[in-house]
Amino acid sequence: MSANPADTQAPAMTAGLTSARTAPIASAAATLTDGSSGTTPVAAALAAGNAGPVTLSATPAAGVKVPAHERIVLSNGMTLIVMPRHDIPLVSFNAVLRGGESAAAPGKSGVASLVAGLLEKGAGKRDAFAFVDAVEGVGGTFNAAAGPESIAIRGQFLARDQQLMLELLADALQRPRFKLEELENLRDRQIELIKAAKDSDPSELIGTYGRAYLFQGHPYARPVIGSESSLASLTHRDIVDYYHTYFRADQLTLIVAGDVDSVWLKKAVTKAFSDWPRSKRPPVVLPQPTRIKERSVLLVDSPGSVQTYFWIGNVGVDRHYPDRAALDLANTLYGGRFTSLLNTELRVKSGLSYGARSGFTRGSVAGEFAIRSFAQTQDTGRALDLSLQTLQQLKHSAVTQEMLDSARAYVLGQYPLDFETAMDWTVALGEIELYGLGAGYIENYSSQLQSVTLPQVQSVIETAFPAPDAVAIVLIGDAAALRGEVGRYGPITEMPLIQPDFDFRAGNRL
Amino acid sequence: MNKSFGSHFLAVGSLTAAVEPDVSPVPGRELVRATTLANGLNIIVWPVHNIPSVAMNNWVRAGSRNEAPGITGLAHFFEHMMFNGTTRRQPGEFDRLMEAQGGANNAFTSDDVTVYQDWFPRNALELVLDLESDRVANLAFAPAVIESERGVVWSERRLRVDDNNQGMLSEQVQATAFVSHPYRFPTIGWPADIQSWRLEDLQKFFKTYYAPNNLTLVFAGDVVPERVFELARRYFEHIPRQAPPQEVRAVEPEQLGERHFVIKRKAQTPLVQIAYKAPAAADLRGPAVNLLLSILVDGDSSRLHRLLVEERQLAIEVGGHWQEGFDPGLLWLFLTLPEGTDPAEVQAAVDAELANVVEHGVTEAELDRAKNMTAAGFWKKLATIDGKAQLLGEYEVFHGDWGKLFDAPAQFDRVTRAEVQAVAREILDKRRRTVGVLVPEEGTDAEADEA
Repeated sequence: MSANPADTQAPAMTAGLTSARTAPIASAAATLTDGSSGTTPVAAALAAGNAGPVTLSATPAAGVKVPAHERIVLSNGMTLIVMPRHDIPLVSFNAVLRGGESAAAPGKSGVASLVAGLLEKGAGKRDAFAFVDAVEGVGGTFNAAAGPESIAIRGQFLARDQQLMLELLADALQRPRFKLEELENLRDRQIELIKAAKDSDPSELIGTYGRAYLFQGHPYARPVIGSESSLASLTHRDIVDYYHTYFRADQLTLIVAGDVDSVWLKKAVTKAFSDWPRSKRPPVVLPQPTRIKERSVLLVDSPGSVQTYFWIGNVGVDRHYPDRAALDLANTLYGGRFTSLLNTELRVKSGLSYGARSGFTRGSVAGEFAIRSFAQTQDTGRALDLSLQTLQQLKHSAVTQEMLDSARAYVLGQYPLDFETAMDWTVALGEIELYGLGAGYIENYSSQLQSVTLPQVQSVIETAFPAPDAVAIVLIGDAAALRGEVGRYGPITEMPLIQPDFDFRAGNRL
Repeated sequence: MNKSFGSHFLAVGSLTAAVEPDVSPVPGRELVRATTLANGLNIIVWPVHNIPSVAMNNWVRAGSRNEAPGITGLAHFFEHMMFNGTTRRQPGEFDRLMEAQGGANNAFTSDDVTVYQDWFPRNALELVLDLESDRVANLAFAPAVIESERGVVWSERRLRVDDNNQGMLSEQVQATAFVSHPYRFPTIGWPADIQSWRLEDLQKFFKTYYAPNNLTLVFAGDVVPERVFELARRYFEHIPRQAPPQEVRAVEPEQLGERHFVIKRKAQTPLVQIAYKAPAAADLRGPAVNLLLSILVDGDSSRLHRLLVEERQLAIEVGGHWQEGFDPGLLWLFLTLPEGTDPAEVQAAVDAELANVVEHGVTEAELDRAKNMTAAGFWKKLATIDGKAQLLGEYEVFHGDWGKLFDAPAQFDRVTRAEVQAVAREILDKRRRTVGVLVPEEGTDAEADEA
């Protein structure tokens, strides 16, 4: 019903009022997909099966089929995908623009996020207040957010309001106002929100510090949210430049799913976007990041913190990694579910931590593999030792056929839950388009999972997971108490949590 | 399907733009089946066949409201212990068996209830009922496991409270707002109590609250209701009913004046939380309370967001929450301030705006917007089997009847401006509120820290 800033995991979980078994760790995986992880929009479909005869659906093992849809490319290069679902009178959309934070100029991190945020702050004939009144007045949602390689605008409206929806989207994409006053307000607010996160949820920022440290010199190092100092340096010119470079018809894929009239929609979209020019620049191609070969420690000092929040990572694999099914099974066993090796050691057996997880972030080039957990300050060394030992154990073929079968059943069993609503489908198809994956990425996944063998799992463990002596270890905690303890893992670099950059080199803006 | 394209025109640049709320009937009521076993176990099933999966919630009517000084946090600790072994199954086997058949689980505890959640493929239905009944019938308490789980809860407390300024402040506000009612206890537990729960405390709590007649099982997803009932009888009906738990008799006395305190902590951004005494979940004015809160803080067009964040830049984040529980609880406002802002100035701005709402009420456009946003949120939840299971459980447990879920949009639609103003006048009373302020302690700004 109402947003509670203290806890965005679940509406029922108010600060201090409610405690969940595992929620905060699960959210660590939110950054694993490109796009607007922080602004999950309203989903769109009431269940089918509310009317008509009961038809028993396939078992999970039979896999997920992509529902019928139409894909057209307009003469200016814009891609439109329409997936009609007439079960309930709601329409969802996902507009994905290539580029994202990785496309910005060095020292300008946060520019894509600011551009995204400003799309809702006045466009076309509406100023900022009129725009949000138009959306919320009809109970619609409209959220734009940047990711490492895209900006995604997602929303949902009642079917009766789909003309308004399209008008708002066309205005936001083609006619944003970028009023200086709105820019300054949003920029200053974003700076303060980062400070607030440092005060109340340092664990949420650990991945940002981790990527800044691991990907030094690569665009993936850049904080998507920006940093206090990079944001402060952004000018109106930066915003407008970014917009004119990347907001172009051939960079956009628009996916609309739900109760739409596809004949009308195709006509209306063509009319609304046909004057939008193509980009004159070639698409951004990111360099391949290189793996680190030594172990080192970044210690982010939060004086008085009673717990240490840690991240252990190295460069992993990309979206087109051919052994994705085997990789997902290996990670499920290592740190992807409650009974994983990692959670069993750090939580179940030792009681050191509320939870421990691992995951691969896979972009157009290799993102990171990372472990995340936390433990009270005096147990930091024990928790780090256990994390590295389980990684060693994994590397030395700890996986048995029984474990593999269990992981397979788990991933197969949970997979259909990702494709329940029209909004889920707009998000899934957006990823497929952004990374050029094809429908087989979804439809063949179940059969790929079923054919994975033990040697294949062992092979991805060997090649995609880092060795425990070649990882970056990033800690947010009380440096005075930790300094002596963590030197044994490698050379330590220190920086204060309140430093206004995520890069350890003070004054170096990413 | 009515498709009236081209007929929709919205007033532009005006705050009075209003679109009549859409009150579509909620489909599905005729599909839901419910039964009560001989031992009092309540079961509700909503068959939905869009994906081959099932969401199950087990609602236990026990939360931190059922605790006492010295054992605070016990309901939540118990939630953790429910995964840690039975007389038939070793600690950890619950999760191992469930995951090996494709299921995942979680659980949460609030002031009022503890809820266990499973999401699984439909062919794991029998296993899930077996596992869920086993831990209600045969829970075991291994001393070593109790100690290790105590450490896990400590770690959770550090994450949510001790290293978290928002969490720290809300714990203090809640403890200050109530003098008699157990709603003053933090659900995670006071530190000294986390240290001292004993085996006997757990055994007594289990026998009292984890009786079948104190539970409601909810299923939504790819199941046939009769099959669920048959399996529930097989696995649950032998578990004996217990005497109903004692009622919570504490009634919070009328608050006679504002309570206000200031905490100094390591911080960059000051925080203000304001908690007003508010009605219980089942109160008939509930929809009006929710719409009032939505008008105040829901979305960027809400009153307090627009005033404090956009117009005056006195806050960077504004939120609210009505604690809808069995007993009268709190209506919260959460404010995060930019560094260097005077909390008194923010409070004065909030007070003036709330006084304005009490005196002049809300506009028709604001009320329609709140109704539309509430309806959209409702449909969003109903779009998934997880949301359906949650809503059925909430209406059954807090409103006494799952069927009321299907009347919810109509209930909200009937609320008038006068009713919203009436609940604003009653709730937004300074004498019945607690204000907690968190400001940076001196010497924790950037320069001092680096010295």
